[in-house]
Amino acid sequence: MPFTAKSGKFNASIKPVTIGSGDKAATIGGENVLPFYSFDAEIANAPKVGIEVTDFGMEHEPECLKKYYDGCTTAADMVKKAVAFEGVDFISFRMEGGDPNGANKSTEDLMATLGEVIEAAGDMPLVICGSKNAERDAELLQKAAELAQGKNAIILAAREENYKTVGAAAGLAYNQIVGAESSVDINLAKQLNVLLTQLGVNASNVVMNVGSAAAGYGYEYVASTMQRIKAAALSQNDAQLQMPIITPVASEAWATKEASASEEDVPGWGDVESRGIDMEVETAAADLACGSNAVILKHPVSVATVSKLIKELV
Amino acid sequence: MALKGLDIFKLSPKKNCKECGSPTCMAFSMKVAQGAADINACPYFSEDAKAQLSEATAPPMKTVKVGVGENEYTLGGETVLERHEKTFVSKTRYAAAVCNCMDEATIDAKLAKIPQVDYERIGERMIVEMVYVNYAADGATDYVELVKKAAAVGRTLILGCDDVEVAKAALAVCKDAKPVLNGANAANYAEMNAVATEAGVVLGVTGSNLSEIYDTVKALEGLGNKNLVIDTTGATIKETFANTVQVRKAAIKDNDRTFGYPSIVNLAKLAKDDQHLQAALASIFTIKYGSIVVMSELTYSEALPLYGLRQNIFTDPQKPMRVEPGIYPINGADENSICLTTVDFALTYFLVSGELERSGVPVNLIISDAGGLSVLTAWAAGKLSSSTIEKFWKEADIEGKIKNRKLIIPGKVAVLKGEIEAKLPGWEIIIAPAEAVQLVKFLKDMNA
Amino acid sequence: MAKFVTIGERLSTTAPAVNKAFTERDPEPILKRAKQQLDAGAVYLDVNIGPAESDGEDLMKWAVQLLQSEFDNVPLALDTSNKKAIEAGISVYNRSKGKPIVNSADAAGRIENIDLAAANDAIVIALCNGEGIAKDNDERMAFCQLLLERGLEHGMEAEDLWFDPLFLVVKGMQDKQMQILECIKMFSDMGLNSTGGLSNNSNGMPKHIRPIMDSALVAMCMMQGLTSAIVNPNDLRLMETIKSCDIFKNNTLYADSYLEI
Repeated sequence: MPFTAKSGKFNASIKPVTIGSGDKAATIGGENVLPFYSFDAEIANAPKVGIEVTDFGMEHEPECLKKYYDGCTTAADMVKKAVAFEGVDFISFRMEGGDPNGANKSTEDLMATLGEVIEAAGDMPLVICGSKNAERDAELLQKAAELAQGKNAIILAAREENYKTVGAAAGLAYNQIVGAESSVDINLAKQLNVLLTQLGVNASNVVMNVGSAAAGYGYEYVASTMQRIKAAALSQNDAQLQMPIITPVASEAWATKEASASEEDVPGWGDVESRGIDMEVETAAADLACGSNAVILKHPVSVATVSKLIKELV
Repeated sequence: MALKGLDIFKLSPKKNCKECGSPTCMAFSMKVAQGAADINACPYFSEDAKAQLSEATAPPMKTVKVGVGENEYTLGGETVLERHEKTFVSKTRYAAAVCNCMDEATIDAKLAKIPQVDYERIGERMIVEMVYVNYAADGATDYVELVKKAAAVGRTLILGCDDVEVAKAALAVCKDAKPVLNGANAANYAEMNAVATEAGVVLGVTGSNLSEIYDTVKALEGLGNKNLVIDTTGATIKETFANTVQVRKAAIKDNDRTFGYPSIVNLAKLAKDDQHLQAALASIFTIKYGSIVVMSELTYSEALPLYGLRQNIFTDPQKPMRVEPGIYPINGADENSICLTTVDFALTYFLVSGELERSGVPVNLIISDAGGLSVLTAWAAGKLSSSTIEKFWKEADIEGKIKNRKLIIPGKVAVLKGEIEAKLPGWEIIIAPAEAVQLVKFLKDMNA
Repeated sequence: MAKFVTIGERLSTTAPAVNKAFTERDPEPILKRAKQQLDAGAVYLDVNIGPAESDGEDLMKWAVQLLQSEFDNVPLALDTSNKKAIEAGISVYNRSKGKPIVNSADAAGRIENIDLAAANDAIVIALCNGEGIAKDNDERMAFCQLLLERGLEHGMEAEDLWFDPLFLVVKGMQDKQMQILECIKMFSDMGLNSTGGLSNNSNGMPKHIRPIMDSALVAMCMMQGLTSAIVNPNDLRLMETIKSCDIFKNNTLYADSYLEI
């Protein structure tokens, strides 16, 4: 007797969102099945992989990245190289230096760097991330959305505290894609989407960052948040949660002890580069299995590995 | 296949007597089909009918035990598909693979690496739990000798061997340690079944596609063997993922008990030369239904994130993970270093200790028992207060162990400052920022 | 759990304006009422064309096509005692947003509507009464068994039979209300879907009282496991109650703006 599986295809689907334009435009979302359940129905668009560069250029990067970015100093230098790395679907530029509790760089400086990055990225789709400080990001991301006009970039992120400014600039004034960020809080994730649509932002121009964590660091909350969001979106047809999910992995993964502790400090643990890559790919793979439609990574080997993983599974 | 309400109803007495507590026989039958009522609540079902229905009332997925002593592991027994519904009960177990097709030096090196991964994380010992010993017909090394060698590592074995005679010989040297014999397929299942039952070990079943596996499992069940695992590894990664998910989904969601067995996923076979890809896949199969995941090797690099992930995924969604209360010296802190206290909620601990490490400042991180709650929740529940801190200071003899008298408390409970000063005379109480991410700057500024 | 399914009841020949529009095939009043109901959150719309003995087939086709083309294939409940009209409606029905509902079958003269639903892969509202109102829950459950068996034997999935306990009017049958609630619980324990004309309870009450009674009853019914109701979706209090109960039942995910969506 042959085994016939019951189809797990849903009547509802995730909204497809296209980043960038032209040949390299990347579309995420659109699927009506759980992550990688291609046996239930074809996956409309494969998840995408981005590579992260910050305004500090090579300055804050781990030692092991140097050989891949030989001769690079600035963010734009790095982006020029990164666009050609295997598996890169988009560039993610993070304005880490904007944090008032950190380097607190001026808006002019950051916009100048962003301008160079946009230039260097060429037709590669872009994600522009703020400083993680909501107040500062209201200003930074508004300017960034303006500067990147015509790029159809994801502006990451509008949060509860600043969604009006960031949402209006990115989603209404400058026709970018609004990234809505909540921190492993499924009710807030939904509410932010409602607020953005009530503001007038087209629901098809919204992606969500629902929070991230490195594997082992409270990852259960991330897993359940994403799985519950996909369940609500697909099985309950909750239109306010049908936006694709983008998850920044790099900043969480590389901050862990597993990825950063030197071989001298933890002699038994072995090669630090390999540890960083594994932390990054294992976290990203878990994100994808739970529902991320795009992940942002740092190490070129991680990007190539995760890209290969996606190709194998879709 | 699970029975539908109508099938059960047809076997029912159709008396509508209500003795079972349901208004009609149809109502009762519907409840039995959903597992909401026990067939034995009806005094009039014939024994024959009950026997036919017994399958419908069995748990959806069998629990299988492998290994002995401290190497005994429980596989399967899951009742849900996602962790937020109910706790997953049996953790994914990881195996490193060796093969008699490898030369002796490679085998020795691989086996020697296995015990190297051995550490503790939040009260759990992390090791490579199993060794997968693969048999290749054209392998140069003697399989039985290899099995002996692998057994000497002291971990639970999985014999990946579809040759009946070889399997028999291998089991003769290791069956007491209850390995898995992963070798039954459509061609050899009857003989393999005899070998596995004789040795009293769990039998792994595989096939070229799901229908073939399904039929083989059915045939083995027909022979009376329900001590099985299903090797869902297919020809490609995509097929393997599909198999693994479909098998689990059929069992849990569609009540198809033929597929209600734990799984083996062999990544060493699927992504042989790409260790990072194996690491990524291991992560996916930890979330999606791998009971045993086999990898070419498992060093700290793969294990650290993987075991952390497993600890997260298999935790009870209702119960937070906790760390042991105590003093955790960070950045080489000693009795003269400053103290910082927070709660025993694992996530808080990791966030805070991570930031402290990054600051480079030597700090004694003092974790008190706060019921595994986060700072504000613990405070609201009375589990983090001046008295709980005072109590812990006494119990753990903090003043006897540390000479420094400066204590940093979480910014979110700044209100406790005065009370703590009163209860811990001689201590200077300092308020930390509200968020852990601000700790690096705070500590650096304080030290400057 | 799935969200509570509201079936909007305002397209009914019992309303003179609707009756006139149906007779004259005048789209405007029909579309206006349909839009009001959908804007208010109705999931299905009930299309009650009355007995329509002479032109039922033509009328039902017209109504189905009119509504589905204007409102993105809105799912509909086809409500008439004319079987041919129901079949005609289904023949032009687009099911991309949900199967059609046959409204309705009972355990007496209209039991064949179960067969009709089975043959057309439709949902059917199965009224648990025979000739006249069931006298107690024993009788309701006997009817339920009969209807369910019939559906399953014709190859339906149990979930496509939506059982209707038949809501009774409080003024006159106050002492029977708890029976209805218990009956819903019995359906729910069997894993069955249920629905009904819930506002029947408040028939004859002052206009300002009805929304209060209807809201209270829907909350109690949802607690018992009622999965759908045929209601006036333009009753704001009632719809807010349903949305709130859906939150408590974990049928929808809470967000601060839940009443606005």
